[in-house]
Amino acid sequence: MKKNKTMIAVFLTPAVLMFVLVFLYPILRTILMSFFKIEGITDSMTKWQFTGFANYSKLASTSLFRISMWNLFRIWLIGGLVVMSLALLFAVILTSGIRFKSFFKAMIYLPNVVSAVALATMWLQYVYSPKFGLLKNVFSAMGLKYLSKVQWLDNDHKFMALLVAYCFGMVGYHMLIFASGIERIGEDYYEAATLDGANKVNQFRYITLPLLKGVFKTNITMWSVTSVGFFVWSQLFSTVTADTQTITPMVYMYMMIFGAGNSMTERNAGLGAAIGVLLSICVVAVFLLCNKLIKEDDLEF
Amino acid sequence: MAKKRGFMEPFNWKRELRLFPGYLLLSVWILFTIVLLGWVVAASFSTTKAIFSGHVLSQGIHFENYAKAWNNSNVSAIFFNSLMYSVISCTLLVLICAPAAYVLSRFRFAGNKMIQTSLVSAMGVPVVMIVLPLFSLIAGMNVLNNYIANKAVLIFLYVGINVPYTTIFLLTFFANISRAYEEAAAIDGCPPMRAFWLIMFPMAQSGIITVTIFNFINIWNEYFISLIFANSDRVRPVAVGLYSMINSMKYTGDWSGMFASVIIVFLPTFILYIFLSEKIIAGITGGGVKG
Repeated sequence: MKKNKTMIAVFLTPAVLMFVLVFLYPILRTILMSFFKIEGITDSMTKWQFTGFANYSKLASTSLFRISMWNLFRIWLIGGLVVMSLALLFAVILTSGIRFKSFFKAMIYLPNVVSAVALATMWLQYVYSPKFGLLKNVFSAMGLKYLSKVQWLDNDHKFMALLVAYCFGMVGYHMLIFASGIERIGEDYYEAATLDGANKVNQFRYITLPLLKGVFKTNITMWSVTSVGFFVWSQLFSTVTADTQTITPMVYMYMMIFGAGNSMTERNAGLGAAIGVLLSICVVAVFLLCNKLIKEDDLEF
Repeated sequence: MAKKRGFMEPFNWKRELRLFPGYLLLSVWILFTIVLLGWVVAASFSTTKAIFSGHVLSQGIHFENYAKAWNNSNVSAIFFNSLMYSVISCTLLVLICAPAAYVLSRFRFAGNKMIQTSLVSAMGVPVVMIVLPLFSLIAGMNVLNNYIANKAVLIFLYVGINVPYTTIFLLTFFANISRAYEEAAAIDGCPPMRAFWLIMFPMAQSGIITVTIFNFINIWNEYFISLIFANSDRVRPVAVGLYSMINSMKYTGDWSGMFASVIIVFLPTFILYIFLSEKIIAGITGGGVKG
């Protein structure tokens, strides 16, 4: 085994080095930064002023930041419920023995490989367009005059419009995870259940769902990780800087640190770092909560 | 559920009728996707006037929208930038991560478990958590004003951010290859490092291809990092370039050009997907946990 030591070192060093440079060091420094007031982001550490938890309490009392957290929470919760239900429903349909299964799968996953900027533009400029939009045409063809006149991108509807467009793109990925989970469940379970006279609904309730616990955990964790980084869609759907309908913490951080417009009076990189720490805590909290609430029994299947 | 079906199962009316609601639901969803994409493709070939009249293509097919977008509005520049970033980053990622994944999957040594755990947790770290120190480090080195250095910085970041996912993905592939191959190579006197590149690396090919497709799509579509670190039009990749282009085209009123640009950005990953969708879908549900 001695000869392998050099091999381990040589093969591992580049990856570990990249990990340290791009993840470990920045994470530690972000945590540190969140306790300081830092006027310029490139300031050396000697210019940092230690302020304890002041950055966090400042964020908590900033109404725009609170709005952005509320928006994120709504995206996470409402979007999560919608996406998970649709994804599970599609996964069940796909595994129920229908034809053209791989075609359906591929088509539903398709939006996931498209650039979010391109996809959001299609929704904004086509589906929601008040002049030649898909929704307008469909609703007026159905004779629903009121609905065809709705301005989907005005302040009252913008958030929902954003959420619908975002969810449409996310369903495919979570559907694939559910579908592979269902496919791993042995067929004998269902055969035995059918022989015992259980109908499809009960089979779903008492076989599929309990055996999908681990898959649910994966899906919820992944959904939380992607939600926290909610940025592109928000930027594309907002018409003014600091749009209260669409702002998310990441957009807030971006505006504050990398300055878009002059809606922010105070420049403090420490605040930005505190936002990063808060969002990371959210992800970890969801992860721990999932592990606590969804107990995976040691079922062999 | 989870029923394995033969390819040529005879058509069974009763069965298909029972599945009808499922077919209907999926078809409606897919129909919407097709209408969405189809209309944008049609609009990209129409004049702006035709788009606004509500009848795309009513004034004939206009290929010149693409020529105009490609030549006048920077699309060719951002396109080749992204192509370069994606190809170089994907290559580097494989060269860095495949050896690491192999060593982690094969040898027991102090810290192995810890490295694996760190890499898995890194996949859940939000970008906001790492972007500020990276920016202060890189901006502090004063390299963002030089466009070649700026490109190198972007590639470095694309590689770094995807190292955890790529390594973890490849780990399972190497773990599944029998040790007998290395043992045979060692008996024949082949040193272990050479044995890796000559024997193990080619054997993990299918995993390497799958993870490269994912990395390519991710890097091609990457937005936030590029927005912060790409300092000029000259170095911008497609996602960020498209965003600024869309904004300016809204003011100039060139809607057909805008849709043409959207399609140009959309096309590479779409074509990749048409040919490789089976592999991509198998990759998501098989090895990795990230799309």
